[in-house]
Order: sequence, then structure tokens, then C-alpha cells
Amino acid sequence: KIEKAKPLKCGTFGATSLQQRYFATGDFGGNLNIWNLEAPEIPVYSVKGHKEIINSIDGVGGLGIGEGAPEIVTGSRDGTVKVWDPRQKDTPVANMEPVQGESKRDCWTVAFGNAYNQEERVVCAGYDNGDIKLFDLKTMSLRWETNIKNGVCSVEFDRKDVNMNKLVATSLEGKFHVFDMRTQHPTKGFASVSEKAQKSTIWQVRHLPQNRDIFMTSGGAGSLHLWKYEYPAQRSKKDSEGAEMGVAGSVSLLQNVTLSTQPISSLDWSPDKKGLCVCGAFDQTVRVLIVTKLNKV
Amino acid sequence: MPVWLREHRWRQTASAVYLSLPVRGLRVTPASIFCTDRYLKVSIPPFLFEAILYAPIDDTNSTAKIGNGIIFFTLYKKEAAMWDSLTLANANKEKLQYLRENAVLKAHEKAKEESEAKKVTKQEHKKYALEATMKLEEAERKRIEDLKEKERQKVTKELELWKKQQEDSEKQKRVQKEGELHQEVEQLKERKKEKMNKTRVPNEGASKIRLKATKGCHGSYSMFSENLKEEQLPAPRSAATIKINFTSRVFPTALRESRVAEEEEWLRKQAEARRTVSADLSELEDLKEEEKNPEWLKDKGNKMFATGNYLAAVNAYNLAVRLNNKLPLLYLNRAACHLKLRNLHKAVEDSSKALELLTPPVPDNENARIKAYVRRGTAFCQLELYTEGLQDYEAALKIDPKNKTIEKDAENIRHLIQGTTQDS
Repeated sequence: KIEKAKPLKCGTFGATSLQQRYFATGDFGGNLNIWNLEAPEIPVYSVKGHKEIINSIDGVGGLGIGEGAPEIVTGSRDGTVKVWDPRQKDTPVANMEPVQGESKRDCWTVAFGNAYNQEERVVCAGYDNGDIKLFDLKTMSLRWETNIKNGVCSVEFDRKDVNMNKLVATSLEGKFHVFDMRTQHPTKGFASVSEKAQKSTIWQVRHLPQNRDIFMTSGGAGSLHLWKYEYPAQRSKKDSEGAEMGVAGSVSLLQNVTLSTQPISSLDWSPDKKGLCVCGAFDQTVRVLIVTKLNKV
Repeated sequence: MPVWLREHRWRQTASAVYLSLPVRGLRVTPASIFCTDRYLKVSIPPFLFEAILYAPIDDTNSTAKIGNGIIFFTLYKKEAAMWDSLTLANANKEKLQYLRENAVLKAHEKAKEESEAKKVTKQEHKKYALEATMKLEEAERKRIEDLKEKERQKVTKELELWKKQQEDSEKQKRVQKEGELHQEVEQLKERKKEKMNKTRVPNEGASKIRLKATKGCHGSYSMFSENLKEEQLPAPRSAATIKINFTSRVFPTALRESRVAEEEEWLRKQAEARRTVSADLSELEDLKEEEKNPEWLKDKGNKMFATGNYLAAVNAYNLAVRLNNKLPLLYLNRAACHLKLRNLHKAVEDSSKALELLTPPVPDNENARIKAYVRRGTAFCQLELYTEGLQDYEAALKIDPKNKTIEKDAENIRHLIQGTTQDS
């Protein structure tokens, strides 16, 4: 058992190699630390990245998945999203911050995607005013933004290490949106389908590592829903001006279960055993679950 | 006056009496026949036939057959004896009356008993049906549970198996690594031995080797692979900043679709309030420019409240209200002044006006609403209207359940109310 001075909000193993297994955490004071769990007294890397709590963290380039440099992205209440490279101290590799004079919004969630070769990387960030922004790290520019009318609690690409395929964004008021990321229309952006799953906030979404069309959402009423995405007959079509436009498919509910009366705030699948997952809830329990018959879906 | 039917014929055996009654042309229904153990009546208005039977009969088993133009009674005697006549001969009026009434009562009771019995059987049937359905449902549930249980067991077994597999493969890997390391160590030893014969630095060499071995399988193994990978990774990106804009939102809270309507209304009201300035008061012409600004007047009022000059504060607020009567904060602060000045009714009025203006309730104006409720509650209590005061305190508590002072004050008021009701 290891205890640190400031409470931790989020963590990821995403940016470390399988041998090193360093754990990157963001805490309530805005510090990003990377720990070697075998020697946890002093962090391997530490930086006071943000002025306020780091709400969300994601890592890419590690665990034998994907190519390119290991990078960690953090999103904070101070409205900025910063990308760090563990080999570079003190300064972020990329910084997405509001324009001078703009009032800041809480960034609630961040995710990496599109890391299919060494140069390409994309960061998606969701904010409390319903904004979703997609930043391209190769060109260092804002690639796409939209607003889903409810605060965005969680975003995830279905795979970090392929050409970006699907993005699921969950929000307050029980809604989630699935965006088809293969075709970007110049004005309309990406096509999406949205579903209202339950009356409470959907805290997190996680795709099954073994099948990228199956994902699970966890809700504020202590329930877990398992969904399957079906692709449409044609994923893209031409609109009236001849520009390519994406077509969203459909989402169907496979199963749901209510485990607790408190929100289930985080959830993750095991990369090794298909259907094994773990979730943590506000009732101070960690539950390990197994989902069966995923082969027959 | 009924028309009596007298043309009846009867014959008897030891146990039964057979009575036939012609009723030519009349419509007979089962309801027209009334029979108890000593009295028989057939009534088809305006025709009437009645007979006070010689001896009691078993009226439950006796039957009446309604045929074409004739009713045929089969009456089973209670006691097997021969009757002298069908009816009792010496039947005087009173006896008749009495018997009739008795008969009616008896029929009544019988009817009641029958209905009770029916009810009881109905209940039992219902119960039975319910139990049957419950059993069926139970069976269904059990079946599903069994399926689930089987599935669970199967999966746990698989999980155990998989765990074991992982452990075994780990063990194998470790053994392999140890084997390899061992080989390396041996090789190094060989080389070292050769060197030793030449250079004579035994201790250093030995310790180095031991260090390598004790670093653990992971250490040295990973060092090799790390070096390889490091060369493949690209250098860290060159730092850059991307500037972003947010979709504008006035409230600091997160955006929720269900609250958007309320928030819009509140914003609209605020905007309106700031715009309305009723400028048609002639006395305003000799005021300075800043004194016409309700906000400035509000600040002035606040300052005077702080220094304890409550009357002056009230004046400032009054003027501000004349200029713009839609700002809830003016009423709120004026209520506080009135409280201090013990103008309790005015305090209540102002708090109420403030609350009116503070609809719709959004998280933005929570603090203001709490203050309004508390001030009105205090005024009520000082007017000894404790129940109203308590209501307001509880409303304030509902908005902010964590405020200890409000809780304590509410408790005190409750005690006061209970104290006064006990006395009176």
C-alpha cells in the first residue's frame, strides 16, 4: 500500500513499456507523476503540469501497442490540455490552451488516437460545456470541434493504434455519441449516432480490447451497459456538393446490470482475458466482473 | 286482492308428496315459487297459491317442475309419515301470519348462508390459483438461476485454468531466462578465467558478474531490449501550443440539456432587469449622474449598512428601487436593513419580493435565495409567527443542507414551537 501527499484523480499505464510498467498519475494539485511501483518513494518523472486538478490522463506508445514516442496527455480544470514526453522534463510537448481573455472551461476527459505510425497522433478532449475538440499533433492544429449539448464525461477511440475509426463520447443526462471518424466532411465534421442510455450521467466508456465494436458504459445509477456498434451498409456517401460525408451506423444494447446504488466512475477491460473487467464505484468497492459469450456476439 | 289458485291435486307416498298446480297461460319463473320447510307459495300476480304444509319437508332437495300450463312439485318429507291432508286444517289468521313471517326469515337466513358458503369457496379457489401460479413462476425462476449458476461455474473454472496457464508460462519463461543467464555467466567466467591469467583483477570481475546475476532476471534482460528499442523511438516532439476557443457559457457549471430552459429564462430576466430604468421621475433631474445608477446606489447602501447607518441605507435602496424595481438584490439588502431596524413586516415584504424575482431557481442564485429565506424566517420569528419562520428556515436548509447555523436556528425554532404548544 502506497500513500502520497495529494489525492490522485487518474492514472494510466499507457505510456510505459511492458517491462518497466511505470504508472503515470495526475493528482488534485495539478502534478503529473510517473512512478516505478517497485520503488514508489520518489517518482521517476514529476512536473507541476497544471494549476488545478488534473481530471483525466491518457498514455500512448507503451505496452507494445502502437508506434511512436511514448506520450502522456493530461486534461485539467484550468482548461488546458497538455501532452508530455517522459524523456523531456518540465515542459510539455504540446499545450492546448484557451486564447488570452477567454474564460476557461473544465476539461473533463482526454484520449489519444490515430497513432498508427510514428508521426501521426491525435488527442481528443471533452469539456464541461459540451465541447469536444480534436487536436492533430502532427500538424499541431485543431482538426475538428463540436458541441454535444451536455458536459462530456468520457471520450475514447475504439483503438489508439489504428487509423482513427470510431470515437465514443459520453456525457451528462445519460447520453452518448458514437462518431464515425473515417470520413471528415469539411463543414459537417464527422457523422454520429447518439443514444440515451439511462437517466443518470454516463461516467465512462471502454472498448473491449479484443473486439473494437463492443463497448461498455458505466452509469451514475451504478449500472453497466454493454453495447454493440453495427456499421451501416455504406460508411460514406457523397453529399450535394460531391464532398465525402460519413454515415453513422447503429448501436444496440446487448446486456445491462445494476451493481450498486452509487455511480460507477471507472472501468477497464483486461487485455489478456476476453471479458474480464474491473470497475470502481463511489461505494468504495472495486468489482471484478466477467462478461461471457462475447464470442457469439 | 290476489286471485287464489285452488285447483290443485296432490298425492303422496311414504317419503314424498307430489303436488300439481295448473297455471294455464301464466308465465312462471323460478322467482315466483317460494318454499320453506313448512310453507309453500306460488305468486304470479295477480294469482296466488299458498299452502301451509301439514308436516315439515326437506326444502333443499324438493323440486318444482315448470311444464306447459302446470307446475309439478316433488316435496320430500322430513319424516316418513302419511299426511292426512296437504295443508293444516285449523289454520287461523295469526298462525298463518306467523308462519309466513317465519318462512320468510328462514328463507333469508338460508340465502345468507348460501352466499357465505359461496364466498368461502371462491376464496379458496383464488388461493389455490395464486399458489399454482406462484409455483410456476418459482419453477421458471429456478430454471433461470440454474442456468446462470452453471454458466458462472463454467466461467470460473475457465478463469482458474487460464490463471494457471499464465503462471505456468511465467514459470517457464523464468526457467528459460535463468538457463540463458547461467549460460552467459558461464561464458563470462570462461573469458574471465582467461583474462585472469593475464590481468589479475579477480575481485572486480567477480563482483561485476555477481551484480549482473543478482540484479534479477528482469534487470539484465530488459537492459538489452531497452537499448534496442531506444534507438527505434523518435525524439520527443518539438514543443508547440494550440490556442483554442470554447463555446461560450455564462454559468460556471457544466452544461446540462434539461436545465437549459431554466437558465435561459434567468439570463433573460437579468438582462431585462439591467435595462429597465424608469426615468420619468422629475426629482431625478437634480441628482448627480452616478446617483441615478442603481448599482452605485446599491453599493452605497451596502457601505452604510456596514457602518451601521441603517436608515441611510434604506434610503439608498429606496431610490435604487424607484429607478429599477427588478433587481432582487436591492430588496434582499433592504430586508436586512429592516430587520436591523425591527421593521419586521417590511422585512417580510422585501424578502418575499426578492424571492419572487429570484425565480427560476438556478444554482447561480442559490446564495441569494438562502439569504432571502433566512431573513424572512428571522422576521417571522421576531413577530412570533414561528411556524412560518420554521417553514422558511427549512426551505433555506433544502437549498443548502450543509449549513450548520441554519440547522441550529431551525432546531431552536422547533423547540420554541413545541414549548409554546405544550403550555397552551
